Amino acid sequence: MTRYISILLTFARACLVRDMTFRANFVLECVTSLGWMAMNLAFYLLVFTFTPEIGLGTGWTKEPFFAFVATGLIINSIVQALFMPSAEELTEMVRTGGLDGILVQPLDAQFLLSMHRVDFSAFANGLVGVGLLAWAIPRLPQPPHPVAILLFPLLVVCGVAILYSLVIMLAAATIHLGRNQSLYDFWFYLTNFSRYPAEIYSGPWGGPLRALCTFVIPILLVVNVPARVIAQPLTGQGGIMMAGTVFAAAAALVISRWVFQSALSKYRSASS
Amino acid sequence: MHNSSQPRTNAPSAAGEPVIEVRGLAKEYRVFDKPEGLLASVTGLFNRKSRVVEALRGVDLQVEKGEFVAMLGPNGAGKTTFLKLLSGIITPTRGTATVLGSVPWERTDDFRRRFALVMGQRNQLWWDLPAAESFRLHKEIYRIDTPRFERTRDELVDLLDVRKLLLRPVRDLSLGERMKLELVAALLHEPEVLFLDEPTIGLDVVAQHSLHRFLAHVQAERQMTVILTTHYMKDVAALCKRLVVVTEGSILYDGSLEQIVDRFTSHKIVTLDLDAPPDPAAIDRLGFPCEIRGPQVILRIDRTRIADVLPGILRGQGVRDVSVEDVPLEEIVAEMFRSGSTAGTNGATGAPR
Repeated sequence: MTRYISILLTFARACLVRDMTFRANFVLECVTSLGWMAMNLAFYLLVFTFTPEIGLGTGWTKEPFFAFVATGLIINSIVQALFMPSAEELTEMVRTGGLDGILVQPLDAQFLLSMHRVDFSAFANGLVGVGLLAWAIPRLPQPPHPVAILLFPLLVVCGVAILYSLVIMLAAATIHLGRNQSLYDFWFYLTNFSRYPAEIYSGPWGGPLRALCTFVIPILLVVNVPARVIAQPLTGQGGIMMAGTVFAAAAALVISRWVFQSALSKYRSASS
Repeated sequence: MHNSSQPRTNAPSAAGEPVIEVRGLAKEYRVFDKPEGLLASVTGLFNRKSRVVEALRGVDLQVEKGEFVAMLGPNGAGKTTFLKLLSGIITPTRGTATVLGSVPWERTDDFRRRFALVMGQRNQLWWDLPAAESFRLHKEIYRIDTPRFERTRDELVDLLDVRKLLLRPVRDLSLGERMKLELVAALLHEPEVLFLDEPTIGLDVVAQHSLHRFLAHVQAERQMTVILTTHYMKDVAALCKRLVVVTEGSILYDGSLEQIVDRFTSHKIVTLDLDAPPDPAAIDRLGFPCEIRGPQVILRIDRTRIADVLPGILRGQGVRDVSVEDVPLEEIVAEMFRSGSTAGTNGATGAPR
């Protein structure tokens, strides 16, 4: 474990050195990312000029909702920074045969392939998320319970694990298909569902969609459960959701590991 | 895929022990033919035609510790597929293989720490970073302790004279410089087995020569077992005593460089430098296949008759100089590729080693 952490830090260091080599690109990426996030926040502020709450009686008033958005920013920035760059690169590596070089190295291939690139500019959104959470927490209708503050990081890790598993399974599809340039697009469409409180998915269409995104592809648990823990009072149903999230994260990791290993065993390697 | 009764020792191999053992190794790929034209492309979405390509057809090979084996073959012969199987990158369709006592495609860390693969057409160093950063990463991945890492790196870097390149981004280096640094990276963990896939491809003569000297030195010093795939006879002649010729996924010849000449040619090349251009009819009368280039005559004479006929030829033609040589290796191998000769096929190998 220590060795893997040490290697991860070495990767991170190498990526930072590379990012600093192309400083203008790094700054531009940060600015683009922050700009997109600022537009989203402005949009949510606009929504709250029309309504005091997202869904009547849901508890997602302005400050809790911004705690929700902050949680999403933190989780997404971790995934975008640590895993997405490597997963996106995998497509090219499979097509060109670059994956060969990874498979001969004495390390877990999934670790190498999913974490060898770190995008430091993606942490910018996460830092804003931390700031936004720090702003929202003192303004919540009910201050979070100390247990909730302890559970929050654990549930954030679970959310990251679920998203990581999805990334890895999409990347594994690349190995089967030989080329999968829609990886990022598909990821964006899928994670779009996790950006809003689960309560908005109701009615004849929303209900089944909510069930699908909770029990089949547990994307709705990713942000909703940690955000609810920090922004709303702890309840018995919340406890079930927390246990479900921990279970979903563990199951997602196991399934994605199996899918990835199975894909690797069928790797054909590109002709040289 | 592999026979579980295979020997599975991971102890260092002693000289003379087989380090690589391959039995009936075969690899088949299913490929889809892409039809020409828009309509055919659309139809092909629903009804694709596929066929099986045999990249390797049941190869047997045994390589002992410290051997430097060249694998020669035309494009698509199966050389790279063979190295990918031995490196564990892909799994075979049939057959067994052990390298250093391990089944390669099980990809155990212990096995992967003991070999290295260098591919001339693939870059394994970080493109945007100086090679020194890739070396540092390599040190962590292969768990090389700092004193050993520094000693090995310095030794390799000095041998190849690339110290001044270590801090330059890899993307700014020439192909030759990059290949030298790829080799340093591959050898940092002091592998017992080295697979080289066309390492000199695209390199100029100076860079090729420099790599030859380096590889010969390091291999001899470390008693490393090396398999080199190449298209260049220069690589083979400079580095290897043993040659394996592969075409269409099968081994045509496996033996010493010297014996390939004995086995696959029946004649020698006799070159005569004459005082003046000869009378073609007089040369024809000698009764050997010949080529006349001004005052120079090139004869192909049966090797068993050289001693008998040469004195007569030298007496009658105003010869200023004469040389008797074997048929060039390139010519022999090219002929083997063309004819797809089955002489010495897979196991019917050449010289004792």
